[in-house]
Amino acid sequence: MNWSNVRLILAREIRDQLRDRRTMFMIFIVPLLTYPFLGMIGLGISQVVQQKATRILVVGEGHLPNEPTLFEGDRLAARLFRQPGGAKLLDVHRWEGDGQPDSASRVVERTASPSERASQAGETAEEPATAARSAVEGGTYDAALIIPPNFGRQIEACREAARRREAPPEIPKPQIIHTTAVERSQLAADRLRIVLERWSDEVARSILTAADAPTWSLSAVDVEAIDLAQETGYRGAAMWSKILPVLLVLWSLVGAFYPAVDLCAGEKERGTLETLLSCPAARSEIVLGKLVTIMLFSSLTAVLNLASVAATAPMIFSQLPGFGPPPALSPVWLGLALLPASALFSALSLALAAFARSTKEGQYYLMPLMAVTIPLAVLPAAGGLELTLGNSLLPVVGLVLLLRAALEGNYWQVVQFAVPVLVVTLGACVLAIRWAVEQFHSESVLFRESERFELRLWLHHLFEDRGPTPTPAMAVFCGIVVLMVHFFMSLHWAAPLDFRQFAVTVAVSQLVVVLTPALLMTVMLTRSPRRTLLLHRPHWSALPTAALLAVALHPLAHLLQKAVMTLYPLSETMREALAGLETLFAHVPWWQIVLVVAVTPAICEELAFRGFILSGMRRGGSPGRAIVVSAIFFGFTHGILQQALIACLIGLLLGWLALRTGSILPGMVFHLVHNSMGVLVARLPPWLETEWPSLSWLVQKGDDGVAFAWPVVMAGTAIGVLLIALLVQFCRPRLESQEAIASAI
Amino acid sequence: MAGRTRRATAAKLEMIHARALTKHYPDLRQGRLVALDGISFDALPGQIFGLLGPNGAGKTTALRILSTLLKPTSGTVTINGYDVVTQPAEVRRQLGFMSANTAVYDRMTAWEMVEHFGRLHGMDKESLAARMEAIFERLNMNDIRDLLGAKMSTGMKQKVSVARAIVHDPPVLIFDEATAGLDVLVARALLRTVAELRDQGKCIIFSTHIMREAEKLCDRIAILHRGRILAEGTLEELRERYHEHDLEELFFRLISEHDQHQGNLTQNLLSSGRLT
Repeated sequence: MNWSNVRLILAREIRDQLRDRRTMFMIFIVPLLTYPFLGMIGLGISQVVQQKATRILVVGEGHLPNEPTLFEGDRLAARLFRQPGGAKLLDVHRWEGDGQPDSASRVVERTASPSERASQAGETAEEPATAARSAVEGGTYDAALIIPPNFGRQIEACREAARRREAPPEIPKPQIIHTTAVERSQLAADRLRIVLERWSDEVARSILTAADAPTWSLSAVDVEAIDLAQETGYRGAAMWSKILPVLLVLWSLVGAFYPAVDLCAGEKERGTLETLLSCPAARSEIVLGKLVTIMLFSSLTAVLNLASVAATAPMIFSQLPGFGPPPALSPVWLGLALLPASALFSALSLALAAFARSTKEGQYYLMPLMAVTIPLAVLPAAGGLELTLGNSLLPVVGLVLLLRAALEGNYWQVVQFAVPVLVVTLGACVLAIRWAVEQFHSESVLFRESERFELRLWLHHLFEDRGPTPTPAMAVFCGIVVLMVHFFMSLHWAAPLDFRQFAVTVAVSQLVVVLTPALLMTVMLTRSPRRTLLLHRPHWSALPTAALLAVALHPLAHLLQKAVMTLYPLSETMREALAGLETLFAHVPWWQIVLVVAVTPAICEELAFRGFILSGMRRGGSPGRAIVVSAIFFGFTHGILQQALIACLIGLLLGWLALRTGSILPGMVFHLVHNSMGVLVARLPPWLETEWPSLSWLVQKGDDGVAFAWPVVMAGTAIGVLLIALLVQFCRPRLESQEAIASAI
Repeated sequence: MAGRTRRATAAKLEMIHARALTKHYPDLRQGRLVALDGISFDALPGQIFGLLGPNGAGKTTALRILSTLLKPTSGTVTINGYDVVTQPAEVRRQLGFMSANTAVYDRMTAWEMVEHFGRLHGMDKESLAARMEAIFERLNMNDIRDLLGAKMSTGMKQKVSVARAIVHDPPVLIFDEATAGLDVLVARALLRTVAELRDQGKCIIFSTHIMREAEKLCDRIAILHRGRILAEGTLEELRERYHEHDLEELFFRLISEHDQHQGNLTQNLLSSGRLT
């Protein structure tokens, strides 16, 4: 890497972007104008919605009791509203029996005595209720209040009963008719409900008075809510911790994308890419120079947007209760999160933009990228999602959740999940950067011309021009098919009721989901199934060594599994399901369990992951990457995440074994022995302990399963390392032609 | 005897040495597209080597391989002793590449653009400045020094491209259809520059489909068609060999003979049942 070339390209690209008016507008002007503008609109809308009067229809006002009054003249009584003038926001219209409701005629009605009015309306109680429903549904009124017949009379009766210390009669329920489908209706119903609650308090008070009971009992218990955030300076942190991470993610994406399109697709379109590629700067130097430029503009966009929000939001939101300035430390956390976020999006945008032939085509790719990113960024902020091991392993989601935890001052969570989130985020960054570099090395991408695509021709080409082993693309496709089918089938699997059901489930998932796709693709897409599935005879020493290795490393694997479970505990439902499985195993002979959980996976999973997928990835030329990719696919077919992590690690070792020995068999033996050990150690017969008490010093059985003593773990690991060294000594790896060329160079 | 000595000297002097160069592209329809089908040629310093061929003959593919933009499917090329596959960075230092596709940056001035590429070629500031002054003087570019690429006329852009290609004083220059789309005046000026560069002792490869240019400019000509070199030699040698004075006629005859031959071959194979 020639750093002066990188610096030259970086300087040129930055100057180029700074001279571009569109970029300057996107980065500097848009954020400065957007938020004040949005704030103004938002504030305006909220005032209009808040202040808007809602119309309600009142049916059966005549059934109300005389005391306490609900209405005051034309409107609901002002004393029932918390805010002065609140009564004006509810426009009251009264139902008039036959014709249209008319607020003017209510005066006439008021003059008649309650009992007279009640007898008039009592016969037709059903009819106005249906009419009110259709009026609200049709939007003539926002909500309707229906007072049932005899309502007032029964309240009077209650008071009378209270006075005489008798059992109270039942009071019929008034109804509020509204629809949550319409916001105004919702608003009207909420207002009505608050008024009616206050009014019913007054009714209760009057009943207590009638019974000569103390009315203070109504407010005997007064709850006071204390907001700690108000005191510690985290006032409104919950709100900010939702808004800021989303803004950070979205703007670092948008800020990366436009420069990326200009820097790559734009260069192709304007014809300067060939000029650049024919100069001595290496492709990786060009990519790095461009990447840093894009990162710079991405971060700058995000920073300016966040700063603009921070500057405008407090001015606007200070009028709302419970909303304070963002937490004091937020710039620090946002700054820390910005670096990986902008690196990830810059590399992704760069790779996509390098693929595009023109800026127009480049712009098309923004939409799919946004469609994937926005849910990842918004869902954790919107939903009640908490950081768990599963979430933290999702790119973007983990970062947003971690940032949220930091903004809320939840530092224990930050410490707990920082490692997985950073590993995943940095891993995604590295992958994206390597993808971008690969795009710049690919002739078909750099000098891409439009070609008509025909499915039939393509399938024909896949079959006719198939090689001895699969391509990396086929390997990845196979892995994705396995994961997808596994996922969809697992949705339909119920917890097994007995061991037979369990065995059938495992067999189906192994044979149908894992083995079948791999075998089918091997037969259809490769010319040499023997080479693809590594069906070679290994060095004679490989098989016993693999078996011993599995035994020796078992305590270490067991310990790691436990550590993962302690750090990221299983959910309660998951633990119950696993405990249920163990009771199923209790009375089954050990060899049957071994057959189901050790032999079947050893054969099926090895053929799929160390066979088809590993061979396909090897054709990419990098054995290390082949091992990692096959291990990741292998890990994630183990449904429970906590298991998947350890399975990934074991997958690395299995992949190495397969490449080192050039055969699928040592891996199968290792897999078989490893899984069997798990079963057998858990089922150590009780007489062993009584016969050899010293054994309990090495292996302890507790409530949470088996635990190996430290010396056992260390001795096992040492022996394992020794065995690996032996394998390195005795087995010469069988190289594929591409790898041979790569290693020769 | 005399011929052998000449060849031996040539081998010592030759700047570009291409042997059995092939290039295939994957193609869904035909399985694969053969863009170059085993071409070999040598080019010497102080000579303009012309690649003459119709559109789609493989000229651009060949020159992109020489300038390391593409990798050959098989065959070797060395440029001033460096291999294009294993030492691409060294090769790019040895050559200046200019084609209809190597445009100038819109948002850079002529001076900045040439300076940028000079720096990328590893020139230090002082010698670069002196070299640029000389080039700007010779190509009459001093009045467009501070003009942005977006505001330049085609002729100005062409000058900047030439300046960009020669700023590091490379021994080899490659011009791929460099006159395409230029008006007569600009094209003439460019051809004159190319001739001057040859006289300075540069090894120049010049591809074109315009007969007049090849006739006027090239010391040696290779006629390329469907990825193969049909004939190669100086203009006089070609005229003598094919008894045809007019290059355009010669070119047309060679190409149509080749196509006819290919057609007959296919016909024969079809009738003998070997190709179905």
